[in-house]
Amino acid sequence: MTERIVVVGFGPVAARLIDELLPAVRSGIAHLTVIGEESEAAYNRVLVADLGVGRTTQAALALADPAALVADGVDVRLGVRVRRVDRARQQVVLTDGSTPGYDRLVFATGSRPVIPNLTGLNPDPAAPVLPPGVTALRDLRDASVLHSAVAGGKRVVVLGGGVLGLETALAAAEEGATVTVVHNGPHPLGRNIDRGGGAVLAASLRNCGVRVAGNARSTGVEHNAPDGGFSALLLDDGSAIDGDLLVLSCGVRPRTELAQGCGLSTAAGILVDHKLRAHHEPHIFAIGDCAEVRCPDPECVECRTARGPSGLVGPGWRQAEWLAEYLTLLASGAPAEAESLPALAAELPGVIVLKARGMNMAVAGDVSAEPWDEEALTAGAVNGRARLQIAQWADPEHGRYVKMTTRAGVLEGLVAVGMPRTSAELVQLFERGAELPADRSLLLRLDGPDQLASPGAADPARTVCRCAGVSGTAIAAAASDGCSTVPEVSAATRAGTGCGGCHDDIKGIIEAHFQGAVA
Amino acid sequence: MTTGADTHCPYCALQCAMTLTSPAALTPAPQPGSDPVDAAPAPAPAAAVSPANGPLLTVTGRDFPTNRGGLCRKGWTSASLLDHPGRVTEPLLKDDDGVHRPVSWDEALMRIVSAVKKARAEHGADAVGVFGGGGLTNEKAYQLGKFARLALGTSRIDYNGRFCMSSAAAAGMRAFGLDRGLPFPLADLDAASTILMLGSNVAETMPPFVQHLQGARDAGGLIVVDPRRSATAAFTSDGGGLHLQPLPGTDLALLLGISHVVIHEGLADTAFIVERTAGYDAVARSVGSFWPERVQSITGVPAGLIRDTARRLADGARKGGSYILTGRGVEQHIDGTDTATAAINLSLLLGLPGSARSGYGTLTGQGNGQGGREHGQKADQLPGYRKITDPAARAYMAKVWGVPETLIPGPGLPAVQLLKSLGQPDGVRCLFVHGANVAVSAPDANAVIEGLRSLDFLVVCDFFLSETAAEADLVLPVTQWAEEEGTLTNLEGRVLRRRRALTPPPGVRSELWIMTRLAELLHAPSTFSEDPETVFEELRLASSGGLADYSGIDYAMLDRGEAAYWPYPSGSTGTPRLFLDAFAHADGRAVFTAVMPRRRSVSRGSTPASAAERGSADHLGKPMTLITGRLMEHYQSGAQTRRVAALVEARPEARLQLHPAAAAAQGIADGDYVSISNERGEVSCRAELSTDIRPETVFLPFHFPELESANRLTEAATDPISGMPEFKTSKVWIRPAVSGDVPAGDHSGVQARVLQAEETS
Repeated sequence: MTERIVVVGFGPVAARLIDELLPAVRSGIAHLTVIGEESEAAYNRVLVADLGVGRTTQAALALADPAALVADGVDVRLGVRVRRVDRARQQVVLTDGSTPGYDRLVFATGSRPVIPNLTGLNPDPAAPVLPPGVTALRDLRDASVLHSAVAGGKRVVVLGGGVLGLETALAAAEEGATVTVVHNGPHPLGRNIDRGGGAVLAASLRNCGVRVAGNARSTGVEHNAPDGGFSALLLDDGSAIDGDLLVLSCGVRPRTELAQGCGLSTAAGILVDHKLRAHHEPHIFAIGDCAEVRCPDPECVECRTARGPSGLVGPGWRQAEWLAEYLTLLASGAPAEAESLPALAAELPGVIVLKARGMNMAVAGDVSAEPWDEEALTAGAVNGRARLQIAQWADPEHGRYVKMTTRAGVLEGLVAVGMPRTSAELVQLFERGAELPADRSLLLRLDGPDQLASPGAADPARTVCRCAGVSGTAIAAAASDGCSTVPEVSAATRAGTGCGGCHDDIKGIIEAHFQGAVA
Repeated sequence: MTTGADTHCPYCALQCAMTLTSPAALTPAPQPGSDPVDAAPAPAPAAAVSPANGPLLTVTGRDFPTNRGGLCRKGWTSASLLDHPGRVTEPLLKDDDGVHRPVSWDEALMRIVSAVKKARAEHGADAVGVFGGGGLTNEKAYQLGKFARLALGTSRIDYNGRFCMSSAAAAGMRAFGLDRGLPFPLADLDAASTILMLGSNVAETMPPFVQHLQGARDAGGLIVVDPRRSATAAFTSDGGGLHLQPLPGTDLALLLGISHVVIHEGLADTAFIVERTAGYDAVARSVGSFWPERVQSITGVPAGLIRDTARRLADGARKGGSYILTGRGVEQHIDGTDTATAAINLSLLLGLPGSARSGYGTLTGQGNGQGGREHGQKADQLPGYRKITDPAARAYMAKVWGVPETLIPGPGLPAVQLLKSLGQPDGVRCLFVHGANVAVSAPDANAVIEGLRSLDFLVVCDFFLSETAAEADLVLPVTQWAEEEGTLTNLEGRVLRRRRALTPPPGVRSELWIMTRLAELLHAPSTFSEDPETVFEELRLASSGGLADYSGIDYAMLDRGEAAYWPYPSGSTGTPRLFLDAFAHADGRAVFTAVMPRRRSVSRGSTPASAAERGSADHLGKPMTLITGRLMEHYQSGAQTRRVAALVEARPEARLQLHPAAAAAQGIADGDYVSISNERGEVSCRAELSTDIRPETVFLPFHFPELESANRLTEAATDPISGMPEFKTSKVWIRPAVSGDVPAGDHSGVQARVLQAEETS
């Protein structure tokens, strides 16, 4: 029997799920229907800002090829929405009137941008009609709005100091736009970064040509442009920030209304258990931005500390891969094996690596504690659990800052600004849960100029010719014995007879010898 | 008789040209030692030939486009093995007491024939197996495949090249329809502005190669990808280029990240992609999710370096040329074929292959690693790189051999599976080993040694009592490189002549002779010959029309010094540069294949330990990642180089390369003995502290046996496409060796070998 799987949503996470389900579709054990609201198949939203500043092309963003999927037997429906889910009949009702049935239904509806409550903006989250000159940054249309502003060298105001806002601002500034980031709180990335890191970050942004307006509460937008479009963002202190385009980057909210409409439990997202199943509904699953893993068991330790949806794509992709394996086992009539599939490991706090050319920043985990906050550092240290430890390096003059928050030598949080190698190293140590070297300064030195210098050039006994294993001393001895050219030294010692890379060094030793003799 | 010969080095695939000359006139070598196992003093052999007590032959580098007169220490000292007192010069039969004693050739051959017949009668023809080597000449490799299939009637033949070249070969076949390590002459690299080298440490493994990197270094365009700051990676400092130091096992993600930048920054060669390739769209989509910052989190390589690499490759392609070269470091993985494919995809995006000044290549390792993988030593292959499952290929070979097609067995088992089957009820019971030392070189070496010991009969052809030969029921002494004629195919696909400079010791035979005699005794159909040129003439015919077509090559033209690059069909002038007009697929296009990192069971910190880890109670603390590789002074299992005094003096033992921070955590000082262990075995050696390695990674050379044998720790897990084993990411635990761990006796094996070698100097 063929299992009917319906996927609602066709973003990056759905695309990964579909890819992984293809073998089951090709072998005929599953029939797959995917419903996408946009007219395009899945594309890489993570790079929408890059597209908006003209750094990449729409074609390069594609993550799925509808024609190829159809050829594989997938039922691809684009530009159509799900009106409602009929759980009693196990079917979905589409805006085009069709009603595909399902044995398994997967919500991959993602999230939508938060539209802040500002005078002059329609705050209805279900129908966000934005005035001209105001855009979010979520889909291809948003990217094209940004693109025309950047290409025209316009003034761009970015509202929101989150990672997407900063990446957009940096990219637009580097491509020639005049950009101002407006955020509340003392520094950007206020939810993720600590005070020191935030301060260095803000300074680095300014160095990259981005104007940063902090501690700013926006209250409304002004539409005085000739075309009636956006002209300024109004702040609560009465000031205004002029611009030609306002990019709203105020976070995202999971799209749960379809799930709510059919009576599923939701919190921030659609509530699912550790097998990504909706609560008390074995036929429905949710993955990606729209899903919130929090099982119905009140005793579950993991879920007690669970965070809501991260808004990052990595966890969604891991969920998609896991669910595809699970659904494939179910479709192949192996429910016992499906149930014994090890549950997906709990996600660590997300890692944010700023995608930018001109500056470098990574932040992950909880970094709020400072080195001398005894209370904060010892708070979790009960039942033999180690206390938190902090190692920190701050050099604001040169735009460098690092904080490593560890427990038993393993990172629980990190900040790295302006130190690319250190940041790369710390992030992968964090991802692997690996123990840091006891001497933390080792990690700071990765970006030092001494890492690139050639070592020990002055040691006379060093091996000059690696191929033949000849030391500088031996070459000097050959020179003393009368060898005055490289070929003569080679004949006497075999130095320089392999790759020949040491000929200049040999020449140098010969010259040094004869100069010494003259002197 | 001449007093010397122009030939090529006995070791690696660079096949440096060398001239061998005899200090006196050519003299037959004396027979050194009547019983190599016996402790009786050998008659002083060297003194008998050369009054100066020097080697039998003098080695000098010879000018040639690949090595330009250069040789490394291995090449310079290669002649010292010709009269080494440990050389096996008579057939040795292992008696019931476990001691090898000399027997006559007649008895040796009769023993083999009866063992083969017994195994066949009791367990069927596939109970006899053959394990070949990438160091055998083309003639030996060809005749060995024929011998296995026609004289032994077995499908069970494979070779040690499965450990090194099969992943790159599979990727090359998939993308280009043809696998030749470098599809261009090596000297083409000289003019390149950018060279990306992944997982290859040529500065140690084939030093004279380094000359060809100079142009790229001068242009600041040498980019080396290696978890270690290897000698090759060190060339990138002082403006020579970039060193990318990814976590072991993340090369595939790194390549996808570089490809991502090429596509998104508009660096791809779109005209090339449209005109000469197929499958671009799927690859473009698959790399879409590998943006540099995400790849940074996976690999530890900064996003900025990933972007730089992509830009320099694209820039180089527009200027002097760009080359991408892969080595075993990225290929010896369970996803090695996919990693090589990702490197090829990147090269196709940039339009490098099929151009006269850019390209993709893989660096073949063993002396005849190229020719050895073309003429029928592989389980799935017939001569000329023909598929053994292809009816047309089978029919053609049956015609060449003059046998009914039904007499040619089907595909056998790839090396790791073949070794796993040793002594098993339906596995191989009687094994021939030629030019390989599997007891040291195969993954999970402890299990391999167990397998060898469980055989009914093991025959090993070697010139030393290697670790594998020591396990043999019968050891057959064979000729060394300076004592034989033949051809090898170097890493560029150029066929070279090996020439004889010395008469072999009287008790020694060539493998061609052994196969011919055994074929007679086994009443094999078709013909076998002990004359290399006769065998080559048959190889020409056998390869004619195949992918690796040698039909237009003969000894006379090689002896005139003509450069013969295959494919070289009769009447052509050979092919120095492949793919200039078309790739080898039917439609002439190169094929992109989308590849993704497979989900590995590794772990963010919260993942529960695997059953194997939990099972080993003595494995305390965090595991580290073991990578393995070569040292300048040694070659492969070290069976030869560990017997060369100068090399042993320079590198007498294995050392574990370890970052000082990791060492400090365990209280290990430089030079301390350490134990490296996992569920498969344990290695004990000294530690060498170095900041050239990543802190979570340790490095062991694989040239050493017994307690220092790195392959006791590697896993016999294989790539699903190529059958190549995972050598580079073994999980191990390191601890200081407590004194009881290293009884003097256990290391005395190493000590004794050192002494033996020193005696010869």
